[in-house]
Amino acid sequence: MLELNGLTRRFGDLVAVDDVSFSVPPGGLTGFVGGNGAGKTTTMRMVMGVLAMHAGDVRWHGHRVTAADRRGFGYMPEERGLYPKQPIADQLVYLARLRGMDAAPARSQIVELLDRFGLGERVKEPLEKLSLGNQQRVQIVAALVPQPRLLILDEPFSGLDPTAIDAMTDLLREQADAGVPVVFSSHQLDLVDRLCDRLVVMARGRVVAEGTADQLRAGAPVRYRIRLGGDAGWVRELPGLQVDDVAGTEALVDVTAEGAEQELLTRAMERGPVHDFSRVVPRLSEIYREVTA
Amino acid sequence: MSTQEQERTQVQRAGARRTPVWAVVAAREVSVKLRDRTFVLGSLSTLVVILGLVGLQVWLDSRTDSYQVASSSAGAQVLVEAAEEQAAEIDENVELSAVTEADDDAARAAVQEEEIDAWLTQDGDDWVLVTRDGADRSLQTVIESVVRSEMLAANAASAGTSVEELTEGTTVTVEQLEGDAELSTLQDILGFGLAFLFYLASIIFGMTLAQSVTEEKQSRIVEMIAAAVPLRELLAGKVVGNTVLAVGQMAVYVAVGMVGLSLTDYGTFIPGLTGDVAWFLAFFLVGFLALSCLWAVAGALASRNEDLQSTATPVTMLVLAIFLGSAFLDGTAEVVGSYVPPLSAVAMPVRLVKGDAAWWEALISLGLLAALAAVLILLAERVYRRALMQTGGKLSIRQAWKLEE
Repeated sequence: MLELNGLTRRFGDLVAVDDVSFSVPPGGLTGFVGGNGAGKTTTMRMVMGVLAMHAGDVRWHGHRVTAADRRGFGYMPEERGLYPKQPIADQLVYLARLRGMDAAPARSQIVELLDRFGLGERVKEPLEKLSLGNQQRVQIVAALVPQPRLLILDEPFSGLDPTAIDAMTDLLREQADAGVPVVFSSHQLDLVDRLCDRLVVMARGRVVAEGTADQLRAGAPVRYRIRLGGDAGWVRELPGLQVDDVAGTEALVDVTAEGAEQELLTRAMERGPVHDFSRVVPRLSEIYREVTA
Repeated sequence: MSTQEQERTQVQRAGARRTPVWAVVAAREVSVKLRDRTFVLGSLSTLVVILGLVGLQVWLDSRTDSYQVASSSAGAQVLVEAAEEQAAEIDENVELSAVTEADDDAARAAVQEEEIDAWLTQDGDDWVLVTRDGADRSLQTVIESVVRSEMLAANAASAGTSVEELTEGTTVTVEQLEGDAELSTLQDILGFGLAFLFYLASIIFGMTLAQSVTEEKQSRIVEMIAAAVPLRELLAGKVVGNTVLAVGQMAVYVAVGMVGLSLTDYGTFIPGLTGDVAWFLAFFLVGFLALSCLWAVAGALASRNEDLQSTATPVTMLVLAIFLGSAFLDGTAEVVGSYVPPLSAVAMPVRLVKGDAAWWEALISLGLLAALAAVLILLAERVYRRALMQTGGKLSIRQAWKLEE
């Protein structure tokens, strides 16, 4: 379990990260979303220790994170790259050795992972000979050897084609299922919605929402859509409902008093046919817009 | 194996015997360089040049020119035979054999046909050495010298005196208070050569170090490295790796040069110079260590390889100043310079080679140089650490110094 407590970082007068606290539990994927300049990268850099924090602390299994702990974290920075001219296996072994692994086991793990990404034949080629998508695959291997105890990935999906996105998704799932806490940032909200067990939403340097997708949705208004045989204008008169929109035979309402939606249905059926009555589950992007507004 | 078990074995393995980070970094620096074709070919061709120069010297030293010189009169025959006898004394690389031709025409024809190299004949009172196209300098010297001494002896005898009496009190011998002439020439050449080697190796390996720092910034791999290891250890590894390369290459060049020189006429001086050359390597090691921190800073201030030319200029200038200073300083300035680091890195070894400095002077100077290296390492580390994560263009030292981590 990784915990961030009151993390703060300033650049001159700008407070890039302001009192940020959240936790990343094991066994699930935590999505880290927010617009450009929201402070995601700065936060991740502070967790990895490449940027000093001005306040707060990062805890790993309850104690303040140490350099040795961080060596066990797999990290994929937003600004990423590897040595262009060195053979890919050699540089991955080098990076693994920097993180305290012996060369021989590192090499066999690396070759295995590269093989899985279809790069098994190319371990001796210099990185620059690979396409950008393949370079990105090599990059994720760098985060996975040695087997990380925590994965921190900054925009791991950017620049990937749909096939590579699927491969990356499987990989992250697999790591999470093996008990590794995984946190990754992304702009692709639908992807995050589909993939993540938990979400942390940042805006202007602060955490504006945190929790499972359902928890976040629970905070959103309970919304129903109704389609009738005749004009729906009468809906406005009912108590306990806030009407968002009425157009002809259709209405969209937020329930403000419990049970009001049942009253609405009863009244509607008394008046005539009801063609549609359904709960509207907001999409993540809508929640996102709401919490970051 | 479950993840937890894997984790445990990895931790155990890590605890058992972990290669220090700086050693892993240094090993990569060395192995990447040794696999770099340009570097290997460049080093080999330098070796070939050194071997070639030494070989040329050996060949020049050992070459013996043989000449056949003819005479066609009794008077000339005496002189040519005397020359045959004395040639080796006058010039060890000249071998002369005397032949006799029947008459002047036969001798002239033999020269024309290149059967013989020269013909000594008399024209009135003067002697003429006839050759087909210009006499070799060494042959001319031998003949001139023999003719002069033989004729001098003959003239003296006919005047009723002797050569000894005639030449009494006319000789001037040169006496050098320190060392001998041939050795001083060698010392000057060697001193300049070592200073130049220092300059060359500092620039080549310094630039290599700076480039490898910039490469990590430019390719953005540095953030992953920074997340895994302390940047101080990364810097240390790079400095150690490149110092090993530079000192290693230098040692090979110097060793090959020394072995080569020992085959030449200068060979007798080599045993006396090995100690000085060892000092040179020690100074080079510490001097390069001090400078390498500056090179690393130059690399860290650049964001791309193209910036490196300008961020490295101050260091390049400094290295050039060290070279010129050590090569051209003289007298008191040279003595003072040999204590002032980093100039002392070259100036002191040059004085040692010349035999001007005692071992304790070298030791003091080396200590001062090491102190500067230590200070530079600390200062450079601060700038390096701060500048390394800044990828938005070229930085000045002042900007980098003020940056926050």
